[in-house]
Amino acid sequence: MRYQIVLSKMTGRTLRCLIPVLCFTVSLMSQDGDQAKVPVSASAVQARAILGFEGISNNTNGELSIQGDNLVFKPAEGPITRITIGSIQGVFLSQEDKEVGGTPLALGRAATPFGGGRVIGLFAHKKYDFLTLDYLDSNGGFHGAICQLNKGQGQAFGSELETKSVHVSGLKNDATRLETKNEAK
Amino acid sequence: MKLSRATSWKAVTAAIAIGLSALTVPVFAGGNRPGVAQWSVVVNQVDAGGLGIAPEFEVAIYENLLDELVKTKQFSTVLRSGDRAANDVSALLILKTSVESYTPGSETKRAVTTVAGATKLKVQSQLCTREAQVVLERVVDGNVRFFGGNLRATYNLAHNVAKAIKQSTLPEPAPSVHDQ
Repeated sequence: MRYQIVLSKMTGRTLRCLIPVLCFTVSLMSQDGDQAKVPVSASAVQARAILGFEGISNNTNGELSIQGDNLVFKPAEGPITRITIGSIQGVFLSQEDKEVGGTPLALGRAATPFGGGRVIGLFAHKKYDFLTLDYLDSNGGFHGAICQLNKGQGQAFGSELETKSVHVSGLKNDATRLETKNEAK
Repeated sequence: MKLSRATSWKAVTAAIAIGLSALTVPVFAGGNRPGVAQWSVVVNQVDAGGLGIAPEFEVAIYENLLDELVKTKQFSTVLRSGDRAANDVSALLILKTSVESYTPGSETKRAVTTVAGATKLKVQSQLCTREAQVVLERVVDGNVRFFGGNLRATYNLAHNVAKAIKQSTLPEPAPSVHDQ
């Protein structure tokens, strides 16, 4: 009898703990319900919105992905921006060297004596891929957006956009370049 | 003591009255004068002029121009190229930008040498009416010589274009049919 009472008390406690957790999980699932139905591409990449993404301030870090018929930029905080793939006029891929470390490193370089800052500058840079989009809004207005991706991700992402009938130009893989050279020979 | 209190009360009352009267006067943003019709502007896409300027530079100039023109508060509306809303605007100016010269730079070169690797841009900016009458024409440049990425040149350029427009005196728009 005593054992049964203890058991029921334990069950009650467990349930009391589990119910809020269950409610929270269910509410989260219902929020993501609509999004879960849309197929998310495998190539969701970390990106930096340099400029031109509506509602997103310049140089915001986030995730760039293709979800159904939309190109989605999801920042770490704040609202998500969606661009209908059908409205994209063209995509241009390029690669550029950029300094790493930002302002702290720039200040550090400036403060380094005997020209040491220049030596740091020689090594403190990294290659990035840039994705430039031209698209039209619902009113026919022309928009441009620039996104910075890690090296190598630009071509992969561009190829995925190409499969969705988007005109992609610029930047080819080194392998493709070699093939083209061999064909020319 | 009593007199000074009375004086201070009068001063406070007068200050409140002045404050209230100031609130009732409409505030015109950005130097807009009451009764003076304002222009709207539509920013056309950048004409690269066959100089081989990178597409990201074209886009960055265009987007930065839109931002900077909004900041000047010189225009009642700043519209994008192709925006259908421009058809309904009576006093409309068109901003045409064509690249005259472009020197690609390198952030790494700038960091290492300080003197080399500058990104230089020079454009011709024209403000025209719908009837293709040129209202303003300027040659403006935007460079990055020391700090910042290459695209910063486009920001500097757009800032300089907006500054040139702000400093110039635009003619008053002709009264439209609606205004009459």
